[in-house]
Amino acid sequence: MTLSYVLMQNLRRNPLRSVLTTVAFALPMAVFVAAISLVVGLIQIGQSAAKELRLAVHHKTTITNSLPEGTRRKIEGLDPQGRRLRAVCGMRWFGGRVPNTQNTLTSLASDVDTFCEVHQDAGLTPDEEQAWLRERTACVVGRIPAEKHGWKVGDRVTLESTVPPYLSLEFRVIKIMTEASRANYFYFRRDYLVESMNQVGIEDSRCNIFWVKCRTPEDLRTLQRDIDAEFANTPDETKSEDENAFGANFVQALGDIPSLMQAMAVVVVIVVALVAANTMMMSVRERARELAVFKAIGFHSRRIFAIVIGESMMLALIGALLGVVPTAALLTMFPVRRLGFVPLASLEVSPIAVVGSIGIALLVGLLAGFWPAYQALRLRTVDALRYLA
Amino acid sequence: MSAADIELSNVHKSYYKDRLEIPVLHGLNLKIGPGDFVAMMGPSGSGKSTLLHLIGGLDSPSDGSIRVGDALLERMTERALTAWRSRHVGFIFQMYHLVPVLTAAQNVELPLLLFRMPASERRRRVETALSVVGLADRADHRPNQLSGGQEQRVAIARAIVTDPEVILADEPTGDLDARMSEEILNLLNLLNSEFGKTILMVTHDPRAASHARRIIHLDKGVLERTEENPVRQPMAGARAAS
Repeated sequence: MTLSYVLMQNLRRNPLRSVLTTVAFALPMAVFVAAISLVVGLIQIGQSAAKELRLAVHHKTTITNSLPEGTRRKIEGLDPQGRRLRAVCGMRWFGGRVPNTQNTLTSLASDVDTFCEVHQDAGLTPDEEQAWLRERTACVVGRIPAEKHGWKVGDRVTLESTVPPYLSLEFRVIKIMTEASRANYFYFRRDYLVESMNQVGIEDSRCNIFWVKCRTPEDLRTLQRDIDAEFANTPDETKSEDENAFGANFVQALGDIPSLMQAMAVVVVIVVALVAANTMMMSVRERARELAVFKAIGFHSRRIFAIVIGESMMLALIGALLGVVPTAALLTMFPVRRLGFVPLASLEVSPIAVVGSIGIALLVGLLAGFWPAYQALRLRTVDALRYLA
Repeated sequence: MSAADIELSNVHKSYYKDRLEIPVLHGLNLKIGPGDFVAMMGPSGSGKSTLLHLIGGLDSPSDGSIRVGDALLERMTERALTAWRSRHVGFIFQMYHLVPVLTAAQNVELPLLLFRMPASERRRRVETALSVVGLADRADHRPNQLSGGQEQRVAIARAIVTDPEVILADEPTGDLDARMSEEILNLLNLLNSEFGKTILMVTHDPRAASHARRIIHLDKGVLERTEENPVRQPMAGARAAS
């Protein structure tokens, strides 16, 4: 027999209470791991985007207002030697959806010549780059829509646009993008879109956004300033933002999800700590005389303190495992990204969130057990025996 | 382990409640020889349990000196006292205080967890202690599967498993019927006569006290008188002084 065995057996003392406390740990920890996974997912996408050193240049009023195609040349003209910018890639919103489905894909028609340079995180190999340049109908698809619709490289797919002139275009998949920051996108060539529009009598080569790939973070800041200055007081004033700020506009349109999740996680932790502390205090109070006997037979106060803290942490750990493991398994088996909802699409179980949740649970167990353990430490053996014996 | 003698010199003990001093023991002098079996009687509040706690190092005297074997208790830190207690003193309580979720054997093993000792040695000691109290066949029973007398015997096994020199029993038969009380008292006699343990037992029951070699009476914190048990003679060297 070891002291850890004694700890485990102590949890059997009042099985219903132990079960209820464990469940009180497990359920919030399940929510906690999901919330933290989302936060971690969004942060990782943000970090990945920041690494790419891209500026999003769009119309100052709103992204739905398009900018002339010539905007690209003017931006390139700000740095003709390419000392600060590497490439500029114009994109136009297509708003395509798979026929007979409801969800619109994040589908964008992209400049053919600079796409690979500006979106290196799309991860095209030299052969894939050649295919992109060669095939007018080439499309590069993120892992999420590819999994959802069962697309593979080489497949021919059709998208129907949800914006005028409601074109229906056929593409050939040349690449499935696995990078988290690109996992939800569908890119195809803008020249294909422009030609298709011409065929139905529409002359429109405007773009919704120009992505500007910069060389250094400092270049990104100066170009952001210079580009907006260049177009100031023109009919097409621009707003330039780094990729994180640009992405946050979409996420925050649904509320400040990361802050909301973090706040929820903190509340969850506090509630769990209070529940656990209450349970441990009751448990210690009920066992005061038993703990006094432990002291009488030679257990030092500090060892009693460790026993109570250990019991609390054990309860927390079991609760956390019961909450975190099934949640992680469920989210892995049934990923929320299949719903295609942009912020929630980031909800994949993150190892950081799992380890973090278990770490937080242990910390909560430690905090919850501290006061009861301190009471046990201070317990005067004589008093406990006199009044309770 | 050989038996230890106990010597108290001019021991005072007061408690404080709301800054009010409540004296419990008034300059007590007592000598208990090695291997003696002493019963301590007296009305409630006479200081019996306080004296037992002082001798067991669970509390410290307000004044005076307590020596158990070679240990001068008033000079020891709490940490040292705890360590000393685990090796030299076995406690038996009226309400047994066994851990309900552990088996009899595991309850007996508890004090041994404080020692660096191979599991096989722990097992051997537990089996021996349970055999001494006649419960070897109940080793795997939990307290709620045992009678009151059997629970107290497990508590006694827990008290002797570390082979202490001194056993301090606080009303060990207080919660038992006459037959079970007799069993427990016979067991204490056995520990005293066969294993040479020095036993100090607090009791209200004259029949229980009659099993001791000597009976000391406390009243209002002073040693009122000492009786020699005519049936059981005191060990050589054991005497009391007030």
